[in-house]
Amino acid sequence: MTDLERDIARLIIDTLALEHLTVDDIAADQPLFGQGLGLDSVDALELALALQNRYGLRIASDSREARRHFETVRSLALYVESSSCAG
Amino acid sequence: MMEFVVDAWRAWAPGMEDETAWATWCAAPHAIVDNGEQPACEFVPPMQRRRLSRLARIVMHAAWPLCGDDEQLPFVFASRHGETTRTFAMLDEIGRNAPLSPTQFGLSVHNAIAGQWSILRGQRGESVAIAGEADTFEHAIVEAAALLGDGLPAAIVVIAEERPAPAYDGHIDDIPFSYALALRLSVAGSGPRWRLSLAANDGAAPVAGVPHALRFVRALHDGAPLDHPWKTRRWHWQPSA
Repeated sequence: MTDLERDIARLIIDTLALEHLTVDDIAADQPLFGQGLGLDSVDALELALALQNRYGLRIASDSREARRHFETVRSLALYVESSSCAG
Repeated sequence: MMEFVVDAWRAWAPGMEDETAWATWCAAPHAIVDNGEQPACEFVPPMQRRRLSRLARIVMHAAWPLCGDDEQLPFVFASRHGETTRTFAMLDEIGRNAPLSPTQFGLSVHNAIAGQWSILRGQRGESVAIAGEADTFEHAIVEAAALLGDGLPAAIVVIAEERPAPAYDGHIDDIPFSYALALRLSVAGSGPRWRLSLAANDGAAPVAGVPHALRFVRALHDGAPLDHPWKTRRWHWQPSA
């Protein structure tokens, strides 16, 4: 994983109180929701808030785009990178 | 007057992990120091456990073994002060003009722990969440007695309080340490039978120091009657043969 991907995995663990996991337990391409890591819709809201605070991202809550960005740690990292380049 | 059987009970406070600890404490009640300890609740899968607050863990730890996996029992959750820790965290966010945590918000309501109990234990029956004054415990028993009176064979009652943040010092003065008492009550079980009655209070003052629900734990040990005066109400607990 890249440094940014590790940062995001850390943020997910801390924000969502996944005390039973370490950064190394989350693969960059593992689905975060449903059958993957097992996160749910409340986690999605909580995570969006944390990403907003950490990286200044603005995420529309119900867009198809957001759903794609939130698929994996890797897709979130790509989104953070593209947003900071744009900014 | 209400009459019921205490089929089983479990209590928790910091460092008070088993029945022997409570028997010793009941022989000589003393102040318990609260250093933020919380039950591990390893019987709850990690993905669900992470959503349990300290208060919720205390409730689950106390109540869990009182309900069989194949039983459906009504659940009465009682707490005078509830999730002050979650509320205080949200007040802090509001004070900083920060957005509220959806998790804190969703789980700060008074019936959240009753909801978590229902989900974790697959309980689909009645549940009640109440908050009253210093006699919240007795009001919880009234709720349970009403459920039993409706014909249900048994009910789970849990009263729990978490020591709040220091900012509440001087405002909340009845939680010297975090604690919970869970009871399984029935109409015709095999445990000790108790009567609870209510009369007008003639001016008697409540006993300070030990949380009232834990005074009842002591009464369960020594089988002695217990009085609980509060404002205009005087509750009387009487063991019954």
